[in-house]
Amino acid sequence: MPQEAGEQYKQMLKNFLHSQGEKDLYLGQQFSRSFIDKNIAPEDVISIHKNSIEELIKDLPSDVSVSFDFLIEMMIHYGLALQEHQSLIRKQEAIQMEMDIAVRMQNTLLQTATPEAKGLDIGWISKPAKQMNGDYVYFLNETSNEVCMAVADIIGKGMSAAMHMSMVKFGMDSLRYEKRDPSEVLSFINKMIEQSISDSMFISMFYGKYHADTATFRYSSAGHEPALFYSAAEKKFSLLESKGLLLGVKEEAVYEERGVQLEEDDFIVIMTDGVSETRTEEGFIEMDVIEDLLLDVKTENAQAMVDYLFNELSKMQDYKLRDDFTLVILKKTK
Amino acid sequence: MNHRSSIEINTEWDIVAARQLGRNEAKSTGFGTVDQARITTAISELARNIYLYAGKGKIEIEPVRVGTRAGLIITASDEGPGIADLQKVMEDGFTTSGGLGAGMPGVKRLMDDFRVETEVGVGTTITATKWLH
Amino acid sequence: MNLQVEQVDKDLVHNFKIIGEIDIYTAPKLKERLAQIEQAEGMDVELDLSEVNYMDSTGLGVFVGFYKEITAHNGKLVIKGLNQRLYRLFEITGLSDIMQIEQVEGGEHDASI
Repeated sequence: MPQEAGEQYKQMLKNFLHSQGEKDLYLGQQFSRSFIDKNIAPEDVISIHKNSIEELIKDLPSDVSVSFDFLIEMMIHYGLALQEHQSLIRKQEAIQMEMDIAVRMQNTLLQTATPEAKGLDIGWISKPAKQMNGDYVYFLNETSNEVCMAVADIIGKGMSAAMHMSMVKFGMDSLRYEKRDPSEVLSFINKMIEQSISDSMFISMFYGKYHADTATFRYSSAGHEPALFYSAAEKKFSLLESKGLLLGVKEEAVYEERGVQLEEDDFIVIMTDGVSETRTEEGFIEMDVIEDLLLDVKTENAQAMVDYLFNELSKMQDYKLRDDFTLVILKKTK
Repeated sequence: MNHRSSIEINTEWDIVAARQLGRNEAKSTGFGTVDQARITTAISELARNIYLYAGKGKIEIEPVRVGTRAGLIITASDEGPGIADLQKVMEDGFTTSGGLGAGMPGVKRLMDDFRVETEVGVGTTITATKWLH
Repeated sequence: MNLQVEQVDKDLVHNFKIIGEIDIYTAPKLKERLAQIEQAEGMDVELDLSEVNYMDSTGLGVFVGFYKEITAHNGKLVIKGLNQRLYRLFEITGLSDIMQIEQVEGGEHDASI
């Protein structure tokens, strides 16, 4: 233990014994920081105190002196707890750093450019509730005439969800030039991840393909929330449902594929349960709340509609997302 | 040469005897009050682990001198279950939740050198040394 | 947050009643409890969820894992007592096609998934 710290402590204690004033207590408090800076353990502080008081008070009763030995014994575990705490903090900082790298990596991985398609306006958002996103949006411009999109939700949140997401991304990338139909894409991804996913994991995915020539949207769902379809002519919402099992549950699952014809100002809303299961103080919101919000802005462009919905729904939950939030709107233009 | 003292750990009271022996040896080696308390705490934790997890074993205490350096070697050995995941046992935070008291990282911090040899089903030998500074 | 699993009877069909909320915090407990069920060839297991008022996707994951375990032993899993919201969740996810699921009688209470 540093000798000079002991000498300084003795001097300060001496001053305090004389004055018993607040100023010396304040100086003592400031000085205690230097103990921590110099890694002087609590038991050493007691020992410094013992030595100082024995020198300052010549006729100190030996019982009092010995009592400090007892206190030293008591403080050993406090000292260990402190060191453990400091080491855990360093560990936490290291984990946080790795986490930041992982988040940056995920963001790079997640990058997907909003495609251009004749007669189709596309808007989207994907926001994680925590640092890592368990939702996933993927766009693909197969030809100038065709646009594909996938919205996926990986069970759970955080790191494990993000790692499974990269599996999905690589699967989709490998199909990039193959012009597959939605049901085929889902079968392929399902087979691929079923091999390497743990037993209680799964992924839900909605996959759609828009053909600009015919203005048709073909879609399949792997256990995903149905998309909403708004018909401008009928002024009515309906659900785009399609039968199919979650990805990663059963190898030979088959996926139904359906289609819908889009007219001008019709729009399709694909979302994850972070949107449809928005939870407020009063409980879950109903789908008609989402429909009403969409009707408020149905004349806006797709991205403005997405932004409006996100703002309104996050306001309803006090700006604290409870789940990853992903929303894609496809709107038929002229 | 140096004398090596040994205490068999069979009951909780043997932990106290091991502490006493350790403190006496630390004192005669020339350690100050705080280091005596550290060495004693380390012995206490090692003996307690033997008592709790192996049932019985022994603590040996041996003063050493290497050149001008003097120190104390503590050896804790048992023929208990051994430690399956040593890395985990040596991790901070593990002991806090596992209820091992100061645990292995604590003993390691209290002493200067620390070595574990363990084999599942065979036993564990821990050697820890404190040097006089 | 609370979760209980009670074994109701133990004839040819293993019958369990799950009580409480199944979320990211209680799901590991449920998983562990279900893992304790000794898997016999061709065993039928019935899980009663009529007193589960909340379940998130982590909970669904536990049932998916349990389903895989049972079918690996050629057994059958029945999940009954589902409220409307939970029933819809099993339907949307396609799990209703591979597991036998039953909605609670007059399952109109406004419980949540």
